Amino acid sequence: MTDGPDGAGGGGPELTADVAVLAAGLGVALRSAGLPAGPDRSERLARAVTVMRATTIAELHACALATMVSDPSQIDTFERVFAEMFGATVPGRPAIAAPQQGMTVEPADEPAPADSPSQATTGELPPAVRQVDASSSSSAGDGDGDDLRDVPAIRRVASATERLAGRDFAQLSPGELSQLATLMRELTIAIPPRRTRRYRPRKDGDRLDMRRTLRQARRTGGEPVSIARRAVRARSRRLVVLCDISGSMEPYARALLQLMYVASRSGGTGGLAGSLREASRPRTEVFTFATRLTRLTPALAAATPETMLAKAGEAAPDWAGGTRIGAALREFNDRYGARGMGRGAVVLIISDGWETGDPAILGAQMARLHRIAYRIVWANPRTQSSRYRPEVGGMAAAWPYCDAVVSAHNFEALDELLAALRTPAIRRPPLVPGSTTGPTAAHHAAAAAQPAAHAADSGRAAHSAPRAAVTFPTEPLARRWTSWR
Amino acid sequence: MSSVVSAELGERFPDVAALAAALDKTGYLAGDQLSSALFLAVRMGQPILLEGEPGVGKTEAAKALAAALDTVLVRLQCYEGIAAAEALYEWNYPRQLLAIRLAEATHEQVKDTDLFREDYLLARPLLTALDHPGPRPAVLLIDEVDRADDEFEAFLFEMLAEASVTIPELGTRRAMIPPIAILTSNRTRDLHDALKRRCLYHWIGYPDAARVAQIIRRRVPAASSQLAGEVAAAVSRLRGLDLTKPPGISEAITWASALTVFGAGTLSAEAAGQTMSTVVKYPEDEQAVKEVGLASVVGHD
Repeated sequence: MTDGPDGAGGGGPELTADVAVLAAGLGVALRSAGLPAGPDRSERLARAVTVMRATTIAELHACALATMVSDPSQIDTFERVFAEMFGATVPGRPAIAAPQQGMTVEPADEPAPADSPSQATTGELPPAVRQVDASSSSSAGDGDGDDLRDVPAIRRVASATERLAGRDFAQLSPGELSQLATLMRELTIAIPPRRTRRYRPRKDGDRLDMRRTLRQARRTGGEPVSIARRAVRARSRRLVVLCDISGSMEPYARALLQLMYVASRSGGTGGLAGSLREASRPRTEVFTFATRLTRLTPALAAATPETMLAKAGEAAPDWAGGTRIGAALREFNDRYGARGMGRGAVVLIISDGWETGDPAILGAQMARLHRIAYRIVWANPRTQSSRYRPEVGGMAAAWPYCDAVVSAHNFEALDELLAALRTPAIRRPPLVPGSTTGPTAAHHAAAAAQPAAHAADSGRAAHSAPRAAVTFPTEPLARRWTSWR
Repeated sequence: MSSVVSAELGERFPDVAALAAALDKTGYLAGDQLSSALFLAVRMGQPILLEGEPGVGKTEAAKALAAALDTVLVRLQCYEGIAAAEALYEWNYPRQLLAIRLAEATHEQVKDTDLFREDYLLARPLLTALDHPGPRPAVLLIDEVDRADDEFEAFLFEMLAEASVTIPELGTRRAMIPPIAILTSNRTRDLHDALKRRCLYHWIGYPDAARVAQIIRRRVPAASSQLAGEVAAAVSRLRGLDLTKPPGISEAITWASALTVFGAGTLSAEAAGQTMSTVVKYPEDEQAVKEVGLASVVGHD
C-alpha cells in the first residue's frame, strides 16, 4: 500500500496509489489547511476517481476540484495543498485565477494547527503545509487569518481602498474620496416604511380579501376555490437631509453627500432580502445650508458624484461661510417642512452644531421639526471623541430633540448612521421643555447623561435629566413592524 | 432500471473528452475542468452547483448539457418568496370542486381518495423532473438558488439527496430515473453549507481572450474572426477598468452581434461608440470609458 505523496514523488503522471487512501490523505491535508473537507467528501472523491477512471494527475486534479471545494475563496488553498502533495502544477490553473480579477486577495492563510492529525499515510504533509503558510503569510498579520477566511473573496475589494475606510473624512483627498464610492455602493440606505390606509392584494397577507375572493368565485360557480388575501400597503417615507456646508464641515459634507448620491442609486448589492424587507428605500430630499438654505435635490440627478458635488457648489454659493443653523431650519420649516415635506419623514441633519446665531432660535425650530418629523437623526463628526459633550450653544439646544446622534466621521462609522436611519421610532411622550428626553446612540449613552450635569451647573436645571431613552429598536417593537406588513 | 440508464450514459460518454465533444457540438465550449465537473455530475448522479460572475454561461451550461444528452431541460427559476407550491406540485382545486359538483348532480358518493389522485395533481418543475419517464434522465436546472429564501434551500435537500418528494396524500414519490440537477448561483448571498455539501462544485471563471474569441465565433457565425478577436480583447480591456458592472461573455456576444448588424468588419472606435450600450450598462461606467477614450479601449492608440 503506497500513499499519495510517494506515488507522485516518482515524477511520472501515473497514479499508482490506492484510491481510498489517496482520497483520505488529500482530505486530511485539506482539512488541516482549513477547508471543510470531511470524510464524506473524501468518499465522493474516491467515487469520482473511479467513475472517471482517472489515471493522470490532471484528471485527479479535476476530480478533486469538483468534489473537495465549495467556494471560490477555497480554490487557492486547494491548489497549494494539491501542489504540495502531488508536486505538479496543473494545466488550466490560470483560468482559476479569474474570480479574483480586479481585486487583490490574500491567500486564505491559516496557521496549521500544531497537533494536526498527522498519521501514518500523510506523515510528512502538515509540516510542509506549515512551511508554505509561514512564507506566504509574512505580509499579513497573524491574527487576521481567521477573519479573512470568513470573508468571501469576491467581497474583498482592493485593500488600498479598505485602508481608507478607517480614515477620517477630513483627511481624505478628493481622489481618495471618490475611491470610497466603490465601497459606499455596497451600502443601502433604508428607513422604516409608513403604513398607509389602503390595502393591496398580497398572497401571504394576513387579511381576507372578501371582494376578490367572491369575484373569483363567480368563475367557479360561486364556489370560493382560491382565497384572496390582502395586506396593508407600506410606502417609503421621505428622507430629508439637511447638510451643513460651512468651512469646518466641508469634508464631511462632501463625503456624506457622496454617500447619499451613491447609495440612492446603487442596487443595494447586498440585496434587500429577509431582514431588511421591513425597511424600504427612501425618497430623498437634500438641502444644504451655511448662511442660507439651498435645495439640492435636482443636483442629485447628475451623472457622477463629482459632477453632483460641482453642481452642489454652484447651487449653494456659501460653501465655507459662517453657520446659522437656526435660521436655516426656520426657512426649511416655513417653506418646505411644515407644508408636507417634513411630515412623517426621517430627517438627517449633518452638522457640527457650531451655531453663530442665537441658540434659542435653533431650539425652537428643532422643537417644531420634532413635532412633524418621524425621527431626527443628527450626524455630528465631533461626537467621535468619547469626551465630547454637547456644550456648544447650538448642539446643547438641539440635543433634546434628536432621536439619535451619530458621528459618521469615517467610512466605518457609517454603519452606525445607517442603523440609526433604519430604526423605527418609538411612540414618544410629547416634549415639553422641562421634561426632555435626550438622544442616545450606542456609545453616546454616557454623553447623553452628561449635559444634565452641565446644564445643572449653568443654572438651567429645568433642562436637566435627559432620561437615557433607548432609541434602538427593542425586540417586541421590531416584531410589531414585521407583523404590520 | 437506473442501472440500465447509467450503463447507457456510460456508453454514451465513456470519458470526459466524449462529453466535451458533445457539448462542443451543441455550441458550448466548456473548459477541461468544467467538462470534468459536468462529467462527474452525469456519471455519479450527484447534483452540481455552478457559481460564477453573471454572464459567464452557467445557465447555458445546463442547456448545453440537456442538448448533449438529448433529453428535456426542466427549469426552475428561483425568486424571493418562492414556495413549495410553485416549485413542486399543487392540487388542482377547481377540478376537484367540479368533480364534487358533478358527483352531487349524479348522486354519487365521493371519497377522499377519489379526489386526491394523480389526475388532480399539477406537477411543477421539480416533480416534472422526477417523473420524467426517460429513457435518459432529465436535466433539472435550479437557476439562481441564491435568490430564493433559506427555507427553500432546506426544502431542496430531500429532493437532491434522495431524488424523492413526499406528497402527504399520495406518499413518497421516488424518481424512476433521478434527474441530473444543476444549481446556479450568482453569490448574492452565501448558500447554506448543508446544500453545498450535497453538491459537486465548479466555479466558472472568466476565460482568457483567445477563448472568448472562440466563443464569439461560435455564437455569432456572422462575425469575422478578426472582429471576434478584437471584441474579446476590448472586453478584457474593459474588465480591467474597474467598472461597476464588468462585461461578461454574454455582453461580449451581444456586442459582437450588434457590430455585425451594423456591418462592421473590424472594431473601430466609431463602431464601438455606436454599440457601447450593449456592453456598458451604467452611466458611471460610460463616463469611465469616455475618460479612458474609446480608441484605447478598441486598441487603436
